[in-house]
Amino acid sequence: MSLLKVENLCSGYGKVDVLFGISFSLSEGKSLGIVGPNGVGKSTLLKTIAGEIVPKSGVVSLLGEDITGKKPEDIVRLGLSLVPEGRQIFSGLSVTENLLLGLTGRKDKSSSKIALEQVKALFPVLNTHAKHQAGMLSGGQQQQLAISRALLSAPRVLLLDEPSLGLAPNVILDVFEKLKEIIANKTAVVIVEQRAHLVASFADQTIVIRDGQIQATLSSADAKNQELLRGAYFGPGS
Amino acid sequence: MQAVLDAISLGGTYALAALGLGLVFGVLKLVNFAHAELITIAAYIMVITNDLPLVVSFLIAALSATALAVLTELTVYRRLRGTGPAIMLIASFGLSVGLQKSFELIFGALPRSAAVAPWMTGSIEMANLNITIASLVTVGLTIFILLAMGYLVDYTTLGLQLRAASADFKTARLLGVRSNRLITSSFAISGVLAAFVGFIVVVENPQVEPMFGLNITILALVGIVIGGISSLRGCALGGFIVGFILSVLNTYLGNARVYAYSYLFMAVVIILLVRPGGILSKGNEMERV
Ligand SMILES: Nc1ncnc2c1ncn2[C@@H]1O[C@H](COP(=O)(O)OP(=O)(O)O)[C@@H](O)[C@H]1O
Ligand SMILES: [Mg+2]
Repeated sequence: MSLLKVENLCSGYGKVDVLFGISFSLSEGKSLGIVGPNGVGKSTLLKTIAGEIVPKSGVVSLLGEDITGKKPEDIVRLGLSLVPEGRQIFSGLSVTENLLLGLTGRKDKSSSKIALEQVKALFPVLNTHAKHQAGMLSGGQQQQLAISRALLSAPRVLLLDEPSLGLAPNVILDVFEKLKEIIANKTAVVIVEQRAHLVASFADQTIVIRDGQIQATLSSADAKNQELLRGAYFGPGS
Repeated sequence: MQAVLDAISLGGTYALAALGLGLVFGVLKLVNFAHAELITIAAYIMVITNDLPLVVSFLIAALSATALAVLTELTVYRRLRGTGPAIMLIASFGLSVGLQKSFELIFGALPRSAAVAPWMTGSIEMANLNITIASLVTVGLTIFILLAMGYLVDYTTLGLQLRAASADFKTARLLGVRSNRLITSSFAISGVLAAFVGFIVVVENPQVEPMFGLNITILALVGIVIGGISSLRGCALGGFIVGFILSVLNTYLGNARVYAYSYLFMAVVIILLVRPGGILSKGNEMERV
Protein backbone atom coordinates (compact mmCIF):
# COMPACT_ATOMS: atom_id res chain seq x y z
CA MET A 1 0.00 0.00 0.00
CA SER A 2 1.22 3.50 -0.64
CA LEU A 3 1.95 5.49 2.50
CA LEU A 4 1.48 8.82 0.81
CA LYS A 5 -0.63 9.50 -2.24
CA VAL A 6 -1.06 12.89 -3.88
CA GLU A 7 -3.65 13.19 -6.64
CA ASN A 8 -4.10 16.14 -8.94
CA LEU A 9 -3.07 18.65 -6.31
CA CYS A 10 -3.59 22.33 -7.11
CA SER A 11 -2.35 24.87 -4.59
CA GLY A 12 -1.18 28.43 -4.16
CA TYR A 13 -1.56 31.59 -2.13
CA GLY A 14 -4.82 33.52 -2.28
CA LYS A 15 -5.46 34.31 -5.91
CA VAL A 16 -1.98 33.19 -6.96
CA ASP A 17 -1.89 29.63 -8.29
CA VAL A 18 1.44 27.89 -7.94
CA LEU A 19 0.81 24.18 -8.51
CA PHE A 20 -1.43 22.75 -11.25
CA GLY A 21 -2.23 19.09 -10.79
CA ILE A 22 0.62 17.31 -9.05
CA SER A 23 0.29 13.54 -8.60
CA PHE A 24 2.64 10.94 -7.14
CA SER A 25 2.64 8.15 -4.64
CA LEU A 26 5.20 6.77 -2.26
CA SER A 27 5.39 3.43 -0.51
CA GLU A 28 7.10 2.18 2.62
CA GLY A 29 10.88 2.25 2.70
CA LYS A 30 11.05 4.38 -0.43
CA SER A 31 12.39 7.85 -1.05
CA LEU A 32 11.20 10.48 -3.47
CA GLY A 33 13.22 13.45 -4.61
CA ILE A 34 11.61 16.67 -5.79
CA VAL A 35 13.73 19.11 -7.74
CA GLY A 36 13.16 22.23 -9.78
CA PRO A 37 14.39 25.80 -10.08
CA ASN A 38 13.91 28.35 -7.33
CA GLY A 39 10.32 29.51 -6.92
CA VAL A 40 8.53 26.73 -8.83
CA GLY A 41 6.54 25.68 -5.79
CA LYS A 42 8.49 22.87 -4.14
CA SER A 43 8.01 24.30 -0.66
CA THR A 44 4.41 25.08 -1.49
CA LEU A 45 3.88 21.43 -2.34
CA LEU A 46 5.32 20.20 0.96
CA LYS A 47 3.41 22.82 2.96
CA THR A 48 0.20 21.78 1.26
CA ILE A 49 0.78 18.10 2.00
CA ALA A 50 1.60 18.90 5.65
CA GLY A 51 -1.56 20.98 6.08
CA GLU A 52 -0.01 24.42 6.36
CA ILE A 53 -1.76 25.46 3.13
CA VAL A 54 -5.24 24.24 2.18
CA PRO A 55 -5.17 23.04 -1.45
CA LYS A 56 -7.53 24.49 -4.06
CA SER A 57 -8.29 21.03 -5.35
CA GLY A 58 -6.92 17.52 -5.34
CA VAL A 59 -6.54 14.84 -2.71
CA VAL A 60 -3.78 13.95 -0.28
CA SER A 61 -4.03 10.59 1.45
CA LEU A 62 -1.86 9.18 4.17
CA LEU A 63 -1.98 5.44 4.87
CA GLY A 64 -5.16 5.31 2.83
CA GLU A 65 -6.89 8.05 4.82
CA ASP A 66 -7.91 11.29 3.14
CA ILE A 67 -6.08 14.11 4.95
CA THR A 68 -6.83 16.91 2.48
CA GLY A 69 -7.50 20.19 4.28
CA LYS A 70 -6.75 18.82 7.74
CA LYS A 71 -4.80 20.99 10.19
CA PRO A 72 -1.04 20.49 10.48
CA GLU A 73 -1.33 19.57 14.18
CA ASP A 74 -3.72 16.76 13.25
CA ILE A 75 -1.74 15.55 10.24
CA VAL A 76 1.43 15.12 12.29
CA ARG A 77 -0.55 12.90 14.67
CA LEU A 78 -1.61 10.77 11.73
CA GLY A 79 2.01 10.08 10.88
CA LEU A 80 3.38 12.76 8.54
CA SER A 81 6.08 15.17 9.60
CA LEU A 82 7.68 18.10 7.77
CA VAL A 83 11.17 19.46 8.35
CA PRO A 84 10.56 22.97 7.02
CA GLU A 85 12.82 25.01 4.79
CA GLY A 86 15.46 26.84 6.79
CA ARG A 87 15.14 24.28 9.60
CA GLN A 88 13.02 26.57 11.80
CA ILE A 89 14.40 25.32 15.06
CA PHE A 90 13.42 27.35 18.13
CA SER A 91 16.70 29.18 18.53
CA GLY A 92 15.81 30.67 21.93
CA LEU A 93 14.97 27.27 23.42
CA SER A 94 17.42 24.60 24.48
CA VAL A 95 18.21 21.59 22.33
CA THR A 96 16.31 19.38 24.78
CA GLU A 97 13.27 21.68 24.71
CA ASN A 98 13.27 21.55 20.92
CA LEU A 99 13.29 17.78 21.09
CA LEU A 100 10.53 17.68 23.72
CA LEU A 101 8.37 19.78 21.41
CA GLY A 102 8.90 17.12 18.78
CA LEU A 103 7.10 14.70 21.06
CA THR A 104 3.93 16.83 20.99
CA GLY A 105 2.63 15.15 17.85
CA ARG A 106 3.50 11.66 19.05
CA LYS A 107 0.54 9.39 19.62
CA ASP A 108 2.21 6.65 21.64
CA LYS A 109 3.61 8.60 24.58
CA SER A 110 4.70 5.45 26.44
CA SER A 111 7.63 5.08 24.05
CA SER A 112 8.70 8.74 24.24
CA LYS A 113 11.77 8.03 26.35
CA ILE A 114 13.03 5.32 24.03
CA ALA A 115 12.42 7.55 21.03
CA LEU A 116 14.50 10.32 22.62
CA GLU A 117 17.33 7.84 23.21
CA GLN A 118 17.06 6.69 19.61
CA VAL A 119 17.42 10.12 18.03
CA LYS A 120 20.31 10.92 20.34
CA ALA A 121 21.97 7.68 19.23
CA LEU A 122 21.38 8.65 15.61
CA PHE A 123 22.71 12.18 16.16
CA PRO A 124 25.10 12.01 19.17
CA VAL A 125 25.93 15.71 18.87
CA LEU A 126 22.47 16.52 20.26
CA ASN A 127 23.39 14.77 23.49
CA THR A 128 26.59 16.76 23.87
CA HIS A 129 24.71 20.04 23.43
CA ALA A 130 21.48 19.02 25.21
CA LYS A 131 21.37 22.02 27.53
CA HIS A 132 22.66 24.61 25.04
CA GLN A 133 20.49 27.12 23.24
CA ALA A 134 19.58 25.67 19.89
CA GLY A 135 20.54 28.94 18.19
CA MET A 136 24.16 28.38 19.23
CA LEU A 137 24.45 25.19 17.18
CA SER A 138 26.17 25.16 13.79
CA GLY A 139 24.05 24.88 10.65
CA GLY A 140 24.66 21.17 10.33
CA GLN A 141 23.84 20.55 13.96
CA GLN A 142 20.65 22.59 13.61
CA GLN A 143 19.61 20.47 10.65
CA GLN A 144 20.23 17.34 12.70
CA LEU A 145 18.11 18.83 15.47
CA ALA A 146 15.31 19.70 13.05
CA ILE A 147 15.30 16.17 11.62
CA SER A 148 15.38 14.60 15.09
CA ARG A 149 12.56 16.83 16.26
CA ALA A 150 10.45 15.71 13.31
CA LEU A 151 11.31 12.05 13.89
CA LEU A 152 10.08 12.19 17.49
CA SER A 153 6.47 12.28 16.32
CA ALA A 154 7.14 8.77 14.93
CA PRO A 155 6.26 9.68 11.34
CA ARG A 156 5.63 7.07 8.64
CA VAL A 157 6.28 9.79 6.08
CA LEU A 158 9.01 12.38 6.55
CA LEU A 159 9.14 15.47 4.31
CA LEU A 160 12.37 17.45 4.14
CA ASP A 161 12.56 20.88 2.52
CA GLU A 162 16.09 21.58 1.27
CA PRO A 163 17.97 19.83 4.09
CA SER A 164 21.31 20.65 2.47
CA LEU A 165 20.71 24.41 2.40
CA GLY A 166 23.68 26.26 3.83
CA LEU A 167 25.60 23.13 4.82
CA ALA A 168 29.18 22.23 3.95
CA PRO A 169 29.52 19.37 1.41
CA ASN A 170 30.84 16.81 3.91
CA VAL A 171 28.05 17.69 6.35
CA ILE A 172 25.48 17.18 3.57
CA LEU A 173 26.81 13.69 2.93
CA ASP A 174 26.56 12.99 6.66
CA VAL A 175 22.94 14.07 6.76
CA PHE A 176 22.06 11.98 3.71
CA GLU A 177 23.75 8.93 5.28
CA LYS A 178 21.47 9.34 8.31
CA LEU A 179 18.46 9.67 6.04
CA LYS A 180 19.30 6.22 4.63
CA GLU A 181 19.06 4.79 8.15
CA ILE A 182 15.74 6.52 8.66
CA ILE A 183 14.31 5.17 5.42
CA ALA A 184 15.46 1.65 6.29
CA ASN A 185 13.39 2.03 9.43
CA LYS A 186 10.01 1.63 7.66
CA THR A 187 9.68 5.33 6.93
CA ALA A 188 9.13 6.90 3.56
CA VAL A 189 10.99 10.12 2.81
CA VAL A 190 10.34 13.02 0.45
CA ILE A 191 13.32 15.31 -0.12
CA VAL A 192 13.10 18.65 -1.85
CA GLU A 193 16.41 19.91 -3.15
CA GLN A 194 17.73 22.49 -5.55
CA ARG A 195 20.86 20.40 -6.08
CA ALA A 196 19.22 18.03 -8.54
CA HIS A 197 22.09 15.58 -9.00
CA LEU A 198 22.54 15.17 -5.27
CA VAL A 199 19.01 14.03 -4.59
CA ALA A 200 18.43 12.28 -7.91
CA SER A 201 21.28 9.88 -7.25
CA PHE A 202 20.09 9.33 -3.70
CA ALA A 203 16.34 8.88 -4.08
CA ASP A 204 14.60 5.88 -5.60
CA GLN A 205 12.72 8.26 -7.83
CA THR A 206 12.93 11.98 -8.48
CA ILE A 207 10.33 14.24 -9.97
CA VAL A 208 11.17 17.49 -11.69
CA ILE A 209 8.71 20.34 -11.23
CA ARG A 210 8.48 23.27 -13.61
CA ASP A 211 5.59 25.62 -14.42
CA GLY A 212 3.61 24.14 -11.56
CA GLN A 213 3.60 20.66 -13.05
CA ILE A 214 5.67 17.50 -13.05
CA GLN A 215 7.90 17.69 -16.12
CA ALA A 216 9.78 14.44 -15.71
CA THR A 217 10.19 11.47 -13.44
CA LEU A 218 13.70 10.12 -13.10
CA SER A 219 15.04 6.90 -11.62
CA SER A 220 18.29 6.93 -9.66
CA ALA A 221 19.97 5.43 -12.75
CA ASP A 222 18.85 8.42 -14.82
CA ALA A 223 20.66 10.71 -12.41
CA LYS A 224 24.00 9.63 -13.85
CA ASN A 225 22.89 10.92 -17.22
CA GLN A 226 23.76 14.62 -16.93
CA GLU A 227 22.16 15.41 -20.25
CA LEU A 228 18.82 13.95 -19.25
CA LEU A 229 18.86 15.66 -15.88
CA ARG A 230 19.65 19.07 -17.31
CA GLY A 231 17.01 18.69 -19.99
CA ALA A 232 14.35 17.83 -17.45
CA TYR A 233 15.41 20.63 -15.15
CA PHE A 234 15.63 23.54 -17.55
CA GLY A 235 13.35 22.38 -20.30
CA PRO A 236 14.08 21.36 -23.88
CA GLY A 237 16.79 23.18 -25.80
CA SER A 238 18.86 24.15 -22.75
CA MET B 1 9.79 51.65 54.18
CA GLN B 2 6.10 52.00 53.47
CA ALA B 3 7.01 53.88 50.29
CA VAL B 4 9.27 51.07 49.16
CA LEU B 5 6.61 48.46 49.87
CA ASP B 6 4.02 50.55 48.03
CA ALA B 7 6.31 50.83 45.04
CA ILE B 8 6.99 47.10 45.00
CA SER B 9 3.32 46.26 45.36
CA LEU B 10 2.24 48.64 42.60
CA GLY B 11 5.09 47.32 40.44
CA GLY B 12 3.96 43.76 41.11
CA THR B 13 0.37 44.58 40.22
CA TYR B 14 1.40 46.15 36.92
CA ALA B 15 3.66 43.18 36.26
CA LEU B 16 0.64 40.86 36.56
CA ALA B 17 -1.38 43.02 34.17
CA ALA B 18 1.52 43.14 31.71
CA LEU B 19 1.98 39.38 31.96
CA GLY B 20 -1.66 38.77 31.05
CA LEU B 21 -1.34 41.03 28.02
CA GLY B 22 2.00 39.48 27.07
CA LEU B 23 0.66 35.93 27.17
CA VAL B 24 -2.04 36.68 24.63
CA PHE B 25 0.28 38.82 22.53
CA GLY B 26 2.80 35.98 22.44
CA VAL B 27 0.51 33.45 20.79
CA LEU B 28 -1.77 35.77 18.82
CA LYS B 29 0.44 38.82 18.19
CA LEU B 30 -2.56 40.80 19.38
CA VAL B 31 -2.63 43.62 21.89
CA ASN B 32 -5.84 42.72 23.69
CA PHE B 33 -7.25 46.07 24.80
CA ALA B 34 -10.23 44.21 26.25
CA HIS B 35 -7.87 42.95 28.95
CA ALA B 36 -8.95 46.08 30.83
CA GLU B 37 -12.51 44.82 30.96
CA LEU B 38 -11.36 41.49 32.40
CA ILE B 39 -9.90 43.45 35.30
CA THR B 40 -13.08 45.52 35.54
CA ILE B 41 -15.45 42.56 35.58
CA ALA B 42 -13.42 40.90 38.34
CA ALA B 43 -13.58 44.10 40.41
CA TYR B 44 -17.35 44.45 39.86
CA ILE B 45 -17.93 40.86 40.94
CA MET B 46 -15.78 41.34 44.05
CA VAL B 47 -17.86 44.35 45.03
CA ILE B 48 -21.20 42.71 44.28
CA THR B 49 -20.38 39.48 46.09
CA ASN B 50 -18.73 41.29 48.98
CA ASP B 51 -21.07 39.65 51.49
CA LEU B 52 -19.68 36.24 50.69
CA PRO B 53 -16.43 35.00 52.24
CA LEU B 54 -13.47 36.64 50.49
CA VAL B 55 -12.16 33.42 48.96
CA VAL B 56 -15.56 32.52 47.52
CA SER B 57 -16.04 36.04 46.25
CA PHE B 58 -12.64 35.95 44.57
CA LEU B 59 -13.28 32.54 43.02
CA ILE B 60 -16.48 33.83 41.42
CA ALA B 61 -14.62 36.91 40.19
CA ALA B 62 -11.80 34.82 38.75
CA LEU B 63 -14.26 32.47 37.06
CA SER B 64 -16.13 35.41 35.55
CA ALA B 65 -12.98 37.07 34.21
CA THR B 66 -11.73 33.77 32.82
CA ALA B 67 -15.09 33.00 31.24
CA LEU B 68 -15.23 36.46 29.66
CA ALA B 69 -11.66 36.09 28.35
CA VAL B 70 -12.42 32.71 26.78
CA LEU B 71 -15.73 33.99 25.43
CA THR B 72 -14.07 36.92 23.63
CA GLU B 73 -11.60 34.50 22.05
CA LEU B 74 -14.23 32.00 20.94
CA THR B 75 -16.79 34.51 19.65
CA VAL B 76 -14.63 37.31 18.26
CA TYR B 77 -10.91 36.68 17.91
CA ARG B 78 -11.12 33.13 16.58
CA ARG B 79 -13.43 34.21 13.78
CA LEU B 80 -11.11 37.04 12.81
CA ARG B 81 -7.90 35.02 12.99
CA GLY B 82 -6.01 35.28 9.73
CA THR B 83 -7.64 38.55 8.70
CA GLY B 84 -4.50 40.47 9.63
CA PRO B 85 -3.16 42.31 12.66
CA ALA B 86 -4.90 45.64 11.96
CA ILE B 87 -8.37 44.14 11.95
CA MET B 88 -7.64 42.13 15.11
CA LEU B 89 -6.40 45.27 16.85
CA ILE B 90 -9.47 47.27 15.88
CA ALA B 91 -11.66 44.38 17.00
CA SER B 92 -10.01 44.37 20.40
CA PHE B 93 -10.59 48.13 20.66
CA GLY B 94 -14.22 47.68 19.71
CA LEU B 95 -14.62 44.82 22.13
CA SER B 96 -13.14 46.92 24.92
CA VAL B 97 -15.53 49.83 24.31
CA GLY B 98 -18.47 47.49 23.78
CA LEU B 99 -17.83 45.76 27.07
CA GLN B 100 -17.55 49.11 28.85
CA LYS B 101 -20.98 50.04 27.51
CA SER B 102 -22.36 46.68 28.58
CA PHE B 103 -21.01 47.21 32.08
CA GLU B 104 -22.71 50.61 32.09
CA LEU B 105 -26.01 48.98 31.16
CA ILE B 106 -25.67 46.18 33.67
CA PHE B 107 -24.04 47.91 36.62
CA GLY B 108 -24.88 51.56 35.96
CA ALA B 109 -22.62 54.46 35.02
CA LEU B 110 -22.08 55.47 38.64
CA PRO B 111 -19.35 53.73 40.64
CA ARG B 112 -20.35 50.65 42.60
CA SER B 113 -18.45 50.35 45.80
CA ALA B 114 -18.01 48.11 48.81
CA ALA B 115 -15.26 47.64 51.34
CA VAL B 116 -13.55 44.57 49.91
CA ALA B 117 -11.36 42.84 52.51
CA PRO B 118 -11.56 45.73 55.00
CA TRP B 119 -8.99 44.06 57.27
CA MET B 120 -6.41 44.79 54.62
CA THR B 121 -6.72 48.55 55.04
CA GLY B 122 -5.41 48.29 58.60
CA SER B 123 -1.76 48.48 59.43
CA ILE B 124 0.65 46.61 61.64
CA GLU B 125 3.74 47.54 63.59
CA MET B 126 6.94 45.93 62.32
CA ALA B 127 10.37 46.84 63.67
CA ASN B 128 9.02 50.21 64.78
CA LEU B 129 7.55 50.80 61.34
CA ASN B 130 3.90 51.20 60.51
CA ILE B 131 3.04 49.15 57.49
CA THR B 132 -0.34 48.64 55.81
CA ILE B 133 -1.54 45.08 55.59
CA ALA B 134 -2.68 45.68 52.02
CA SER B 135 0.84 46.37 50.80
CA LEU B 136 2.18 43.29 52.57
CA VAL B 137 -0.55 41.07 51.15
CA THR B 138 -0.11 42.53 47.66
CA VAL B 139 3.63 42.02 47.68
CA GLY B 140 3.25 38.46 48.97
CA LEU B 141 0.50 37.64 46.52
CA THR B 142 2.26 39.05 43.45
CA ILE B 143 5.52 37.32 44.32
CA PHE B 144 3.62 34.06 44.69
CA ILE B 145 1.79 34.48 41.37
CA LEU B 146 4.89 35.55 39.49
CA LEU B 147 6.75 32.50 40.80
CA ALA B 148 3.83 30.25 39.89
CA MET B 149 3.72 31.75 36.39
CA GLY B 150 7.49 31.32 36.10
CA TYR B 151 7.08 27.66 36.96
CA LEU B 152 4.22 27.24 34.50
CA VAL B 153 6.11 28.86 31.66
CA ASP B 154 9.52 27.31 32.31
CA TYR B 155 8.74 23.82 33.55
CA THR B 156 5.42 22.60 32.18
CA THR B 157 4.45 21.25 28.77
CA LEU B 158 1.89 24.02 28.37
CA GLY B 159 4.59 26.58 29.13
CA LEU B 160 6.98 25.05 26.61
CA GLN B 161 4.26 25.12 23.96
CA LEU B 162 3.48 28.74 24.84
CA ARG B 163 7.11 29.73 24.40
CA ALA B 164 7.43 27.81 21.16
CA ALA B 165 4.20 29.21 19.72
CA SER B 166 5.19 32.74 20.71
CA ALA B 167 8.44 32.35 18.81
CA ASP B 168 7.03 30.58 15.73
CA PHE B 169 3.43 29.41 15.70
CA LYS B 170 3.61 27.77 12.27
CA THR B 171 6.44 25.48 13.23
CA ALA B 172 4.86 24.73 16.61
CA ARG B 173 1.74 23.54 14.80
CA LEU B 174 3.79 21.38 12.44
CA LEU B 175 5.11 19.65 15.55
CA GLY B 176 1.60 19.03 16.84
CA VAL B 177 0.85 22.00 19.09
CA ARG B 178 -2.94 22.40 18.98
CA SER B 179 -3.45 26.03 18.04
CA ASN B 180 -7.02 26.53 19.26
CA ARG B 181 -6.42 24.84 22.57
CA LEU B 182 -3.22 26.79 23.22
CA ILE B 183 -4.76 30.16 22.37
CA THR B 184 -7.82 29.47 24.51
CA SER B 185 -5.54 28.46 27.38
CA SER B 186 -3.59 31.69 27.19
CA PHE B 187 -6.81 33.71 27.24
CA ALA B 188 -7.96 31.71 30.27
CA ILE B 189 -4.69 32.32 32.12
CA SER B 190 -4.82 36.02 31.22
CA GLY B 191 -8.33 36.06 32.74
CA VAL B 192 -7.07 34.60 36.01
CA LEU B 193 -4.22 37.12 36.12
CA ALA B 194 -6.69 39.95 35.41
CA ALA B 195 -8.83 38.75 38.33
CA PHE B 196 -5.87 39.01 40.70
CA VAL B 197 -5.19 42.51 39.42
CA GLY B 198 -8.86 43.44 39.83
CA PHE B 199 -8.82 42.17 43.39
CA ILE B 200 -5.63 44.00 44.35
CA VAL B 201 -6.78 47.27 42.82
CA VAL B 202 -10.31 47.15 44.24
CA VAL B 203 -8.99 46.80 47.79
CA GLU B 204 -7.22 50.14 47.45
CA ASN B 205 -9.80 51.78 45.26
CA PRO B 206 -13.27 50.33 45.88
CA GLN B 207 -15.03 52.65 43.41
CA VAL B 208 -15.67 50.38 40.43
CA GLU B 209 -16.94 52.02 37.25
CA PRO B 210 -17.03 50.81 33.63
CA MET B 211 -13.52 52.14 32.85
CA PHE B 212 -12.02 50.80 36.06
CA GLY B 213 -9.35 48.62 34.40
CA LEU B 214 -8.37 51.00 31.62
CA ASN B 215 -5.65 53.03 33.29
CA ILE B 216 -3.69 50.08 34.60
CA THR B 217 -3.97 48.29 31.26
CA ILE B 218 -2.58 51.23 29.31
CA LEU B 219 0.29 51.62 31.75
CA ALA B 220 0.93 47.88 31.63
CA LEU B 221 1.15 48.23 27.84
CA VAL B 222 3.78 50.91 28.32
CA GLY B 223 5.56 48.43 30.56
CA ILE B 224 5.45 45.76 27.89
CA VAL B 225 7.03 48.11 25.38
CA ILE B 226 9.79 48.99 27.85
CA GLY B 227 10.48 45.42 28.92
CA GLY B 228 10.36 43.86 25.47
CA ILE B 229 7.17 42.44 24.10
CA SER B 230 8.82 39.32 22.73
CA SER B 231 9.44 37.71 26.11
CA LEU B 232 7.14 37.14 29.07
CA ARG B 233 9.97 37.93 31.45
CA GLY B 234 10.40 41.25 29.66
CA CYS B 235 6.67 42.00 29.94
CA ALA B 236 6.61 41.32 33.67
CA LEU B 237 9.79 43.29 34.28
CA GLY B 238 8.55 46.25 32.21
CA GLY B 239 5.21 46.26 34.02
CA PHE B 240 7.04 46.19 37.32
CA ILE B 241 9.29 49.09 36.36
CA VAL B 242 6.35 51.27 35.31
CA GLY B 243 4.41 50.57 38.50
CA PHE B 244 7.49 51.06 40.63
CA ILE B 245 8.50 54.36 39.01
CA LEU B 246 4.94 55.67 39.15
CA SER B 247 4.60 54.85 42.82
CA VAL B 248 7.94 56.45 43.68
CA LEU B 249 7.07 59.57 41.66
CA ASN B 250 3.71 59.84 43.41
CA THR B 251 5.40 59.64 46.79
CA TYR B 252 8.18 62.12 46.17
CA LEU B 253 6.63 64.63 43.81
CA GLY B 254 4.20 65.79 46.49
CA ASN B 255 2.14 68.61 45.01
CA ALA B 256 3.91 68.21 41.67
CA ARG B 257 2.28 64.79 41.41
CA VAL B 258 0.35 65.88 38.31
CA TYR B 259 3.65 65.65 36.43
CA ALA B 260 4.16 61.99 37.37
CA TYR B 261 3.04 60.77 33.95
CA SER B 262 5.30 63.26 32.16
CA TYR B 263 8.31 61.99 34.05
CA LEU B 264 7.25 58.41 33.50
CA PHE B 265 6.97 58.86 29.76
CA MET B 266 10.27 60.73 29.65
CA ALA B 267 11.85 57.68 31.28
CA VAL B 268 10.12 55.47 28.71
CA VAL B 269 11.48 57.48 25.80
CA ILE B 270 15.00 57.34 27.22
CA ILE B 271 14.81 53.59 27.76
CA LEU B 272 13.54 53.05 24.23
CA LEU B 273 16.24 55.26 22.74
CA VAL B 274 18.87 53.12 24.44
CA ARG B 275 17.16 49.78 23.83
CA PRO B 276 14.57 50.05 21.05
CA GLY B 277 13.45 46.43 21.42
CA GLY B 278 12.92 46.73 25.15
CA ILE B 279 15.20 46.07 28.10
CA LEU B 280 15.26 42.30 27.70
CA SER B 281 15.47 42.27 23.91
CA LYS B 282 18.33 40.49 22.24
CA GLY B 283 20.09 42.82 19.87
CA ASN B 284 18.68 44.07 16.61
CA GLU B 285 14.93 43.82 16.91
CA MET B 286 14.68 47.06 14.95
CA GLU B 287 15.83 45.34 11.80
CA ARG B 288 13.21 42.65 12.05
CA VAL B 289 10.21 44.97 12.15
N1 LIG C 1 3.48 33.19 1.57
C1 LIG C 1 3.42 33.40 0.24
N2 LIG C 1 2.49 34.23 -0.28
C2 LIG C 1 2.40 34.44 -1.61
N3 LIG C 1 3.20 33.87 -2.52
C3 LIG C 1 4.15 33.01 -2.08
C4 LIG C 1 4.30 32.74 -0.68
N4 LIG C 1 5.31 31.86 -0.53
C5 LIG C 1 5.76 31.61 -1.78
N5 LIG C 1 5.08 32.28 -2.71
C6 LIG C 1 5.27 32.24 -4.16
O1 LIG C 1 4.95 30.92 -4.61
C7 LIG C 1 5.88 30.50 -5.56
C8 LIG C 1 6.48 29.18 -5.12
O2 LIG C 1 7.26 29.37 -3.98
P1 LIG C 1 7.97 28.19 -3.23
O3 LIG C 1 7.02 27.07 -3.05
O4 LIG C 1 8.59 28.72 -2.00
O5 LIG C 1 9.10 27.78 -4.29
P2 LIG C 1 10.35 26.84 -4.12
O6 LIG C 1 10.28 26.19 -2.77
O7 LIG C 1 10.23 25.86 -5.24
O8 LIG C 1 11.56 27.68 -4.27
C9 LIG C 1 6.89 31.61 -5.73
O9 LIG C 1 6.57 32.32 -6.88
C10 LIG C 1 6.72 32.47 -4.50
O10 LIG C 1 6.96 33.82 -4.82
MG1 LIG D 1 11.55 26.35 -1.18
